[in-house]
Amino acid sequence: MIQSDADILWNRKLGPMYFHLGLSLRGFEQAVPGQFITLRAQRQQSPLLRRPFSIHRLIQADNRVQGIEILYRTAGDCTRYLSTLAPGEKVNILGPLGNGFSLPDSGRIFLVAGGIGVAPMVFLAETLRQKSHPSEITIFLGGRTQTDLLCQKAFLDLGLRLELSTDDGSTGHQGLVTDLLKKHLTETKAHGIYACGPMPMLAAVAGLARSHAVPCQVSIETIMACGMGVCLGCALDDQVITDKYRHVCIDGPVFDAATLKFDN
Amino acid sequence: MNTINNNFIPDLSVDIAGMHLKNPIMTASGTFGYGEEFKDVVDLNLLGAIIVKGLSLAPAPGNKPPRIVETACGMLNAIGLENVGIEAFVRDKLPFLKKLSTPMVANIYGKTIDEYVGLAARIDDVDGISAIEVNISCPNVKAGGVAFGVDPRSVYQVVSAVRKASQKPLIIKLSPNVSDIATIAQRAEEGGADALSLINTITGMAIDIHTRKPKLANITGGLSGPAIKPIALRMVWQAVNAVKIPVIGIGGIVSAEDALEFFIAGASAVQIGTANFMNPSATIEILEGLTRYLKSNNMATLRNLYGTLVL
Repeated sequence: MIQSDADILWNRKLGPMYFHLGLSLRGFEQAVPGQFITLRAQRQQSPLLRRPFSIHRLIQADNRVQGIEILYRTAGDCTRYLSTLAPGEKVNILGPLGNGFSLPDSGRIFLVAGGIGVAPMVFLAETLRQKSHPSEITIFLGGRTQTDLLCQKAFLDLGLRLELSTDDGSTGHQGLVTDLLKKHLTETKAHGIYACGPMPMLAAVAGLARSHAVPCQVSIETIMACGMGVCLGCALDDQVITDKYRHVCIDGPVFDAATLKFDN
Repeated sequence: MNTINNNFIPDLSVDIAGMHLKNPIMTASGTFGYGEEFKDVVDLNLLGAIIVKGLSLAPAPGNKPPRIVETACGMLNAIGLENVGIEAFVRDKLPFLKKLSTPMVANIYGKTIDEYVGLAARIDDVDGISAIEVNISCPNVKAGGVAFGVDPRSVYQVVSAVRKASQKPLIIKLSPNVSDIATIAQRAEEGGADALSLINTITGMAIDIHTRKPKLANITGGLSGPAIKPIALRMVWQAVNAVKIPVIGIGGIVSAEDALEFFIAGASAVQIGTANFMNPSATIEILEGLTRYLKSNNMATLRNLYGTLVL
């Protein structure tokens, strides 16, 4: 874990509410997919706290990790301010934090992302791609409308199979991303599912994984203050997880879906 | 022309509650874990003292989430004093802390006077614990904690009972949720406190206007951060004027300038809390800022600034 100022290399708008941030930063050689950072951009005292973001990708050059990429959605004062920053300005980064995804040895892998939940999936897909044949990895992207389906080019460039769904049917299947997952799980034996997105989606993915007996890991987002296991503010209770008061920052953010509670 | 004399190293040291501290920067309980969590980003040997997360006799699971919410220039928390318990602390956390040159202060809380006494007695002969900070002021634990801190008689009872159970220096952490801090401070002094620390968080509340539910599962929580600094400063000043023992200032300190206000008001040391969440290096940056201030003002010792409020 390091704390460091990082130069903004780029801060590009990807759609109505989405931005792609590139940061020049050392100290992330050991970072793994699923880990996160906390970021503080503002000098003033409100908003007060750092904000957690998944590591979207590592920036590599000359066989070294030269920085990290963040994918974010403008949701509040912090991210709106972040979206106004230009290349050359600095943000303060703490990371890498938390536990990443455990990677499988082999077999067919399904990645499931809802909206901005796609953020950790590109780093994960790139890492999986080093061991697995691209035809064994399928990414399911879901969102409200077509502009919520991010990173399609990155996944296609890796040669992965892409399955798309939108609530309004503007792209791909009209309905839930878990409809597509259910269909594929019925047709094909999968060896691992990795999911990130809203809690109802994660609960549905966890339920499907259990009924098809497929190991599944989910990345969970909560409000947090410190990101490093000292404030204990990011606790999950027994409505979410079987073993109550796990902390998203140090016990997660990636959890075994078998420990998640789900309705269906 | 403004010349800064860089040929001297200002003396930041202070003797407080039987401890000789390199400098007056302490970490506030509950914002610095058990110290080790910060070892990658803070040189822990540079700190004045490390005060660890509040410890109870048995491990405590804490409150239901949501436990924290951000508010204007501050945050509300209702963690509920989740901690590993005193035995696991001594067994698993203390060995790391003992290797540091920085004194470590154990923060304890109980639901009854017997629990406070039991905790103090348990660690009385444990090496590596330089002092005990007695939390009689947590707003988030029912049937204890704050109940002791708001009534002058019970403040005296719990402090004098802990005093009898321990030879270690005692720092009593006071609640701001009282109408007369001077009387509370005096009762703690009479009970045998070696120093006072204040303020703990201020009881507050936030509501989600869409669901009309409290934003914290505990309904109320403790407000911390820059929002509370003026209140903390006022109460520290009142306590300093009420007692002879040293007072440690806590509340919304995020910069050296903030800390200097507390020293001028009469605090002998300060604790850095919520700032650790905003910036894990806050303690070290505040320390560097104090040194810069002393150098630029040609002051050899920080102690000369204590209680120099001009009225």
